[in-house]
Amino acid sequence: MNKYIITAIAAKDMKATFSSKKIWVPMMILPLILCIILPAVFAYIGINTELIGESSKDLEKPINAVIQNFPNEEMRNTLAALPTLGFKSVYFFLNFMLIPFFLMAAIINSMVTSSNSFAGEKERNTLETLLFAPISISELFLGKVIASFVPTILITYMAFLLNGLIVTLITYRVFNEIIFLNSTWLLLMFWVIPALVIFNIVLNVLVSARVKSFQEAQQFGGIMVLPVVGLIISQVSGLFFLSPLTLFLIGAGLLIANGFLLKLITKFNQRNTLFESQIH
Amino acid sequence: MTMIEAFHVSKAFNGRSILKDVSFTIREGSIIGLLGPNGAGKTTMIRLLNGVIEATSGKMKVMGYDPKTQGDEIRKRAGIVTESAALYHDLSAWDNLVFFSKIYNAYDPERITYLLKQFEMIDKKDELVGTFSTGMKKRITLAKALLHKPKLLFLDEPTNGLDPEGINDVIHYLKKVNQEEQITIIICSHVLHQLETICDSFLFLQGGQIIERGTRNELEDKYLTEVSLLVETGLQPSNPNTYMGFTYVRKESQSIEFKLASKNEISSLLKEILSESWIHSSEITNRSLEALYFKIRSEKYE
Repeated sequence: MNKYIITAIAAKDMKATFSSKKIWVPMMILPLILCIILPAVFAYIGINTELIGESSKDLEKPINAVIQNFPNEEMRNTLAALPTLGFKSVYFFLNFMLIPFFLMAAIINSMVTSSNSFAGEKERNTLETLLFAPISISELFLGKVIASFVPTILITYMAFLLNGLIVTLITYRVFNEIIFLNSTWLLLMFWVIPALVIFNIVLNVLVSARVKSFQEAQQFGGIMVLPVVGLIISQVSGLFFLSPLTLFLIGAGLLIANGFLLKLITKFNQRNTLFESQIH
Repeated sequence: MTMIEAFHVSKAFNGRSILKDVSFTIREGSIIGLLGPNGAGKTTMIRLLNGVIEATSGKMKVMGYDPKTQGDEIRKRAGIVTESAALYHDLSAWDNLVFFSKIYNAYDPERITYLLKQFEMIDKKDELVGTFSTGMKKRITLAKALLHKPKLLFLDEPTNGLDPEGINDVIHYLKKVNQEEQITIIICSHVLHQLETICDSFLFLQGGQIIERGTRNELEDKYLTEVSLLVETGLQPSNPNTYMGFTYVRKESQSIEFKLASKNEISSLLKEILSESWIHSSEITNRSLEALYFKIRSEKYE
């Protein structure tokens, strides 16, 4: 493994990502809407207006029932102590329901960059040029994974920081705490999301190296969003709550899966099989 | 010293045979023309020698390395220009060359500047490759192939898309690097007259097999069974079909094409003509590489 070569490949791809508005603008818009505007608007409306309390009068009972049955005692007490339904909804939303939105943004962004990685090289006929160079397939893969990982994680953390700032400005006077500094959020951002993004990228890069075109790679990538959609539904319905322990286990499971996938890549992607399957 | 050795190399894709029992050697410092029609297996041969695909059977040594197990050692020392391998269109010419020099572990801005000057592309170094004409892209691809000062250069149709001036420049430059840096060059091409002046010897591939090989002179001796000599002269032979026993055809009012059995007969013919009339020029017309190529192909087919 030559670090110099890996860096050159990663830097070249990242330059392409950030120099094409068609790629980075959509990558910014999604987290902007899901992770910054949506929570800010929700927090503002819930705290400063009666909109949530009034429109959801008939929902008050089921929401209170969810709160009473909440598994974590501390959270149950905090929620019960909040004066209005609007406050309760905002607190609940920011602590739990927002999590899948961050997951979704990270997954979709990493999919955009990674599904383009090999298939994009192939479509531009540059994969052949790369395979004729004295670089190993592992170096090529690693460079590609880094080139997809860095922009995704940068954008996700930027969104987290901005979201934290804006939401804290809106809610601090009512909740007297910085919500995003609790263990759930920190575990999510610095343990689960990096592991999930790497998992998604490695899987996509692997698929992208085997399929014929970049559309095919994206279709496969789309399947990855499904578990997150399931998570949103279960969070909203109160079926399943992401406790710090659950988050830790999810991250650990993803890391193990990453190790397994990386082994698979080095095993199945020999230069000659890659060349014969991808270049005609 | 031998640069490339191939022994009984065969390659099949999905049961379809592309190369059959190909053997040859290439000497260091030579320029070899690999000729043959589309689908003859030229590109497959180049891919095998670079170790990017594996032979079904047979053995190869390139600069002493086995392409199957030591491909990276070969790729480190070989430059390649292929028709399909492309540059990054969304990067400038300079950024492309910087990127490739880095992955070849040979980053040197002076070398990049030198090559861009050689190929007269220095003024365009900051423009995106996607905006270039085919000829300009080809020149950057050639510069890319030479970045790491290779010992061996593979060129698959290097002059496609170039204008006549561009072709001359490329041929001139290839001769220069061959002489100055002792680079061994293997050229695949269809445009045979460009290869005539530059190649030391030739390999003719057809249907996955080498049907003939040799230097220009060797091939001429073998295939030039009849010499067509075009003479610009004021000669007016009395016999309308033969002169001195040689059949002839009048091409223009002052030029005659004679058919001779061998080159040895040229001198005596010209001496005889000179005793009767003037001569301004004389030229063998059927010795071009193209003529030899068709002759070899037709004979091997029969």
